[in-house]
Amino acid sequence: MKIGYMLRDAFWSLFKKPATVQYLTKHGEGVPVTERYRGKMVYDRDACIGCLLCIRTCPSGAITVTDERKVMFRVDRCIFCGQCMETCPKDAIGFTSDFEIVALGREELVVR
Amino acid sequence: MAGETKEVEYGYSRLIIPIGPVHPALKEPVHFRVSVRREEIIDVDLRLSHAHRAIEALAETRNLVQNMYLMERICGICSHSHTTCFTQAVEGIGGIQPSERALHIRTLIFELERIHSHLLWLGVMAYEIGFDTLFMYTWHVRERILDLFEETTGGRVHHSMNTIGGVRSDLTADMVEKIAASMERIEKDTRYILNVFQDKTVEKRLSGVGLLDSRTAKELCTVGPTARASGLNMDIRKDDPFAAYESLKDSFSVVTRTGADSYARTEVRIYEVFEAINIIRTIADKLPSGDISPEESILRLINKIPEGEMISRVEAPRGELLYYIKTDGEGGIKRLKIRTPTLANVLALRHMLVGGEIADIPVVVASIDPCLSCTNR
Amino acid sequence: MFILMVLSAMCPVVFIISLLFEGIDRKLHARMQKRIGPPIIQPFYDFVKLFGKESLIPVTAASGINIASPILAAASSIIAAGIPLASFATTAGAIGDLILILFLLAASSIMIMVGGSSSGNPFAAIGFARKMTMMVSYEVPLFISVVSLAIKSGFSLAYNDIIQFQIQLGSCFAFAFPSAAIAMITFLTCIPAAAGVVPFDIPEAKTEVAHGLLIEYGGPYLALLKLAKSATNFALTFLAFTLFFYLPAIFKGNSSLGYWAILALCVAGALVIMFLTITVPRTIFARLKIGQAFKFNLVLLPLSILSLVLSIVGM
Repeated sequence: MKIGYMLRDAFWSLFKKPATVQYLTKHGEGVPVTERYRGKMVYDRDACIGCLLCIRTCPSGAITVTDERKVMFRVDRCIFCGQCMETCPKDAIGFTSDFEIVALGREELVVR
Repeated sequence: MAGETKEVEYGYSRLIIPIGPVHPALKEPVHFRVSVRREEIIDVDLRLSHAHRAIEALAETRNLVQNMYLMERICGICSHSHTTCFTQAVEGIGGIQPSERALHIRTLIFELERIHSHLLWLGVMAYEIGFDTLFMYTWHVRERILDLFEETTGGRVHHSMNTIGGVRSDLTADMVEKIAASMERIEKDTRYILNVFQDKTVEKRLSGVGLLDSRTAKELCTVGPTARASGLNMDIRKDDPFAAYESLKDSFSVVTRTGADSYARTEVRIYEVFEAINIIRTIADKLPSGDISPEESILRLINKIPEGEMISRVEAPRGELLYYIKTDGEGGIKRLKIRTPTLANVLALRHMLVGGEIADIPVVVASIDPCLSCTNR
Repeated sequence: MFILMVLSAMCPVVFIISLLFEGIDRKLHARMQKRIGPPIIQPFYDFVKLFGKESLIPVTAASGINIASPILAAASSIIAAGIPLASFATTAGAIGDLILILFLLAASSIMIMVGGSSSGNPFAAIGFARKMTMMVSYEVPLFISVVSLAIKSGFSLAYNDIIQFQIQLGSCFAFAFPSAAIAMITFLTCIPAAAGVVPFDIPEAKTEVAHGLLIEYGGPYLALLKLAKSATNFALTFLAFTLFFYLPAIFKGNSSLGYWAILALCVAGALVIMFLTITVPRTIFARLKIGQAFKFNLVLLPLSILSLVLSIVGM
């Protein structure tokens, strides 16, 4: 008959390192992200040829065309799916590992 | 529920308790009006669609590429199942056959998602019976799988791995090795969790609770582990194989139990994790080589897909997921209909709850693994 | 007069120590679950924060009882925890005997019950029925196990007399007599039920009845109720340590050690007992159903009667 099966495990966990980190309460604590992680996007203006294919495949309408036939990304509408990166024939779009995207106004959340 | 005469004995001690839409026992909003006399449940009334987002209507305004990402966001736990079902249907209409490597990678992520969903459910079940420590422990095991997801696909919850005609990102050789190596660790931890679920205090809460005999399960059309725990042997992976399951037929078996109570459902899910580990090990051993997605750009592909309709089904972690798609020939969708597994299982709750105690409500509701954001899309 | 002064001086001490106990309990519970956990002074932050919140009284509530019962519950719990602490200060006379302490602890539970159910919520009504069942099943073994101690120490229920008896005996009750050992087992097994922790926290189950009796309380009343529960836990563990395991008696009387040293030793001992009977069961067990908990506590009743009979016989 098993009762209190977790007792030994729970007791030894008192002395081991915990599985959580003090992310925002201590400065510099965090867990690193991997290289395929899709964070905030980065856009190479010079490589872009203005084909506007990314606008047709963006699910949330986060990409809009500007006057010089280049594009503008709205980070607050982006869902970080990565389809624009796949569709672009010139590899002008990439994703960084920045996930702490905070701003005090919507104008700062635009990548040109 | 409405329109049938209910014979309820009216006594002075009859209470009506609202469980939900906001309740600590539920993870997602659903409303049960439970009539109770002291501690015994007399009647249950159900109301859905608190999380309705009109996804089927939204799908008619987007083209096929954009719809793939919309389908993924119906549910966070079974997101890959939704995209797999959708792309299978579209590939069926367009006559596109993905390569063998793409199908095997799809299946690998599919089974990893099954493990992660069942581990999440085990933690939730432990929380419902008051066992916080097991909840934290199970989710700590699940973190390893989420880390694997992040390394291979780039996202912990929404993988965005599927594309029409194949998969998006390839698995390098050491990623495959890493997956196979972490399966050892996960198997050991799952065996530990299996032992804890046989603890006396846990077994007292789960056994004999929420009985659903196999005849009623068949009449009410339950699917998934809920049906398999009542003795019905139904699994789409064996009955109607999709993706790479045709060639993996011998690496796994369907887990059924005859207990038909919550304990049987728990056992079915834990043993399904072991079967999924077997499948993943088989795939990691013999992953065929090749390229993973068609050469054409995706926008040209979807413009070539003709008008037509298709039904496709997959075995999501909660049961059979069914999609009906009608395309309009110009890369858009005319009609989309989704039948999620929880929609089929939630009708069985009334039969399970009547005659039980109040203390059984969270256990029974959690034991059908309700994913209500799938249900009220 | 002197009694009143001593008791009111003990109230801040009880307040601080019982909230510290709760903080240490939460930190140890988190570490056992491989988490970091809140800081130890978190209950103080919670107390201050809750006093800053608005309190809403529902329309269907009997507002007089609803408001008065948290205050009464907190007051009786704090006094019940203060009496053993104050008894160390005065060697002359008794501030209160065991009957008073146990009555105040039960009264605080009854006040919580009455106040909770007066709010008119169906969940609170279910919590009320469950709490009544639980109280019936654990109060009786608790009382009887204490009575058998009193019989040993010269038929007196005064708290001081029991401690003096242990000092004269030179060893603790639990090590000296078999009847006291059985009484100790019964008392320690009743502590999780009296403190309201898993596996016996059925009246206030979070997932079943959405916190049962506490569901309509918010703001300052919730702070007072949580304080009442912490003070009850502290009183129970302190009583368990000093009644059964009074270790300073082994060190031959309290003339060599100062009063504060003995107090610190007793508080540390209460901390150890809290770890064993409140934190560890909270971590490794699941919650029972009300029928199962009732049957479990009925098993304790023959044990406590056995200890009573043995102490009368003279063992």
